[in-house]
Amino acid sequence: MLIEMKNITKRYGSLVANDNVSITLKKGEILAIVGENGAGKSTLMKILYGLESYDSGEILINGKPVRFSSPYDAIKNSIGMVQQHFMLFPPFSAAENIVYGNEPRRGIFFDKKEAYRLVEELCRKYNLYIDPKIKVKDCSVGLQQRIEILKVLFQQVDIIIFDEPSAVLAPQEIDNFLQTVLDLKKAGKSIILITHKLNEVMAVADYVTVMRNGKVVKKMPKHETSIEELSYLMVGHHLEEREIEEIEPEEEILAVSNLTKTSPDGVKLLDDVNISVRRGEIVGIAGVSGNGQSELIQCISGLEHADSGKIVLNGIDVTNASVSAIREAGCACIPEDRYYWGSAAEASLEENCIMYHYQRKSELMKNGFLNSRNVSLFSETILKDFDVKHTSSSQSMKDLSGGNAQKLIVGREYMQNTPLLIAAEPTRGIDIGAIEYIHGRLLEKRQKKDAILLISSELSEIIELSDRIYVMCSGRINGEFSRDEATREKIGYLMMGGKNDDEM
Amino acid sequence: MTMKCNRKFVTVASPFFAILIGLTFGAAVMIAVGTNPFSAYRQMFSKSFFDIYYLGQTLVKSAPIMLSGVAAAIAWRAGYINLGMQGQMCVGGLCATLVALFFPVKSWWVTILCFCVGMTAGAIWALIPTYLDYKFDVSIIICTLMMNYATNFLTDYFVSAPIKDTAGDGLAMQSPQIAEALRFYRFSPKNAMNTSVFLSIAVVILIAIFLKKSKFGYESKMTGLNREFARYGGIKSTKIMFMTMALSGALCGFAACIEIFGARYRYVNAMFTSTSYSWTGLMAMLIADYNPIMTMVYSIFLAGLAIGGQALQRSVGLPMQISDIIQCSITLFVSIKLLFNFQKLKINKKPNHLERDEEVEHE
Repeated sequence: MLIEMKNITKRYGSLVANDNVSITLKKGEILAIVGENGAGKSTLMKILYGLESYDSGEILINGKPVRFSSPYDAIKNSIGMVQQHFMLFPPFSAAENIVYGNEPRRGIFFDKKEAYRLVEELCRKYNLYIDPKIKVKDCSVGLQQRIEILKVLFQQVDIIIFDEPSAVLAPQEIDNFLQTVLDLKKAGKSIILITHKLNEVMAVADYVTVMRNGKVVKKMPKHETSIEELSYLMVGHHLEEREIEEIEPEEEILAVSNLTKTSPDGVKLLDDVNISVRRGEIVGIAGVSGNGQSELIQCISGLEHADSGKIVLNGIDVTNASVSAIREAGCACIPEDRYYWGSAAEASLEENCIMYHYQRKSELMKNGFLNSRNVSLFSETILKDFDVKHTSSSQSMKDLSGGNAQKLIVGREYMQNTPLLIAAEPTRGIDIGAIEYIHGRLLEKRQKKDAILLISSELSEIIELSDRIYVMCSGRINGEFSRDEATREKIGYLMMGGKNDDEM
Repeated sequence: MTMKCNRKFVTVASPFFAILIGLTFGAAVMIAVGTNPFSAYRQMFSKSFFDIYYLGQTLVKSAPIMLSGVAAAIAWRAGYINLGMQGQMCVGGLCATLVALFFPVKSWWVTILCFCVGMTAGAIWALIPTYLDYKFDVSIIICTLMMNYATNFLTDYFVSAPIKDTAGDGLAMQSPQIAEALRFYRFSPKNAMNTSVFLSIAVVILIAIFLKKSKFGYESKMTGLNREFARYGGIKSTKIMFMTMALSGALCGFAACIEIFGARYRYVNAMFTSTSYSWTGLMAMLIADYNPIMTMVYSIFLAGLAIGGQALQRSVGLPMQISDIIQCSITLFVSIKLLFNFQKLKINKKPNHLERDEEVEHE
């Protein structure tokens, strides 16, 4: 047995993050640990990597008990970890980042040439190619992850832990990544994969350990289980199959015509975009992230200005209008990033709940003054109605878990009761239970004959929910599908720049 | 997580820590010069807070400190680092003095007029860097800071020539005294304690309520916590920026008027620079974490420290620089706290939801 973690218990105050957890990993094996956010997977891996201490239990490596006080100890014992959030120096080259910590030297100086050579050798050895001289800041997220992996491999570790590796990747980058994992296994590495994406587990894992509420629910070989069973074990109850009822779309709510935007350095971010969204319709925009979807919704919601074109919302021309004018015209928006745009982490839940509502509801604000009692009542309504797990409405936003924070934001924008709701990445990085819940609420809004514009890098989300799908590539609308026509393959082909009428 | 708990702990406890360590450091210095720190501190605080004469001095001194501190807090909490309180006080004070000296009528309502003029002048002075930021992307921090020096010379020019007081020996660079009718009521001719102190406290309380309850308070707070979130929520950021800075500047003007019409009765050369009211206020506001009421409390404490230091010099013969040392070490430890805050700010600025998810996972 390469690694054995026996009966690990870790408490944070009254919360038991890991309750008597045991896992094992054999050499050359890929072990997937799945579970919802907060199930304790990350804590367990932080313990293994020496980032966190533990209260009881023991860790054996090759049968010998070890106790790590820092990642340095873990690396010495041949354990490396690719963190969820990359730890790279953007202005430095790939090679400099990879050799950081064990730099080749000539005398007292850093030997850049040798570093490039070492990295090239490393790339060849593992079939993971990268230009050693490329600056990290010029790399896509997928390439940055590759640099992270190479960094770990450069430390000559045998065991690699991946913490939610695909959370930041675009669909085709995910495929590349999974291939890399299989290649690493072939090269003799043992791998622990922390994830909540079950199709990835089914694609690469040998064994699957399911965690829920800090405990191991079950460990089994992959071929003995299925996505359905795993999701049941993760969530603790069966997810219901959803029937999406046909609704005849009504009048047009959003019409975007010939929208064009060019970046300061001359790149066409939006190139003659035309879309239309009608009442009672969920319209999805599929695309690899960075192909103009963000710019499009930012132009519609007023955060960015377009160079030319026209946006008509609810019969009102809102091209390049202010955010408040656009919201007034009938648009609410679940933003792409819940902490960058969607909330103020240091502010209370109440303060986050009433954003924009106070401008329209006189019971919240009258004569320029807030009514604290009504603010509390109103916030509690959102928190309760949208199932946000919280202790008090005056606690700060940053104390909510990602899924609950997202539910709050969804609730706030849902409650604006606008004819158009823009939902950008409404379920990014949150667990299955919360995803199901949010999808349900979006469909409910559709049922009320409101319009929803959905942007997501999860293709399955787009396909599941949308009545119509536009595919964006390089700032252009590259094709359009109805619900019946849409398949993963067709959309994926257009996402990569193919044409709808090409032979496939 | 441990890191996070520590940070929380530091945020809550640091004011007391900073003060405690400052006092300890002061005690160490006193021991080094051969004074008993306990008796010295006892004398110091019993004078500045429990002796009616010195308590009056403490409160009078604390008024401009708390007002300029709250002025800074208004701007800082909205994310606009106003460091020009000193200049805004100079201009506000000078303009109010000019009106007081040259307005033909000398009656109580002229005081109100003077305050209005002083506040308007302070506001305009704060709006200049704001406009430069809006139009040309000039840093508000640097611009407000630099304007302090320019303003100081400008206002000192007035009391060195055009409105210099020619009565008396004519050596002091100061304006003539303002009419008696315009002054705040003093309880005793021996003591500077006057009604302006109560007005200041009332204003601070009103501002505390205003910031907590009003639309402006909410919008400026959200702007300060996350400017992108405020923009996304339809808050007009430009309007908030100008309103915030104007209010901050106006309050500085008000602070200057309180000092002139309550305590000094004239504009004196360098009256706001040598006393460093605004910097002490800034310190109080930083210890208080932008909370106006706590800013008031710490302002009174810091003013008491200075007054107690003076008293100590008279009675024990200990140099009043002791109180400066204590103040300085408090500043030092507060700035450590500030470092933590900036780190927090930096984390928030990062548009990375994943890192945060991880952080909150175990709550």
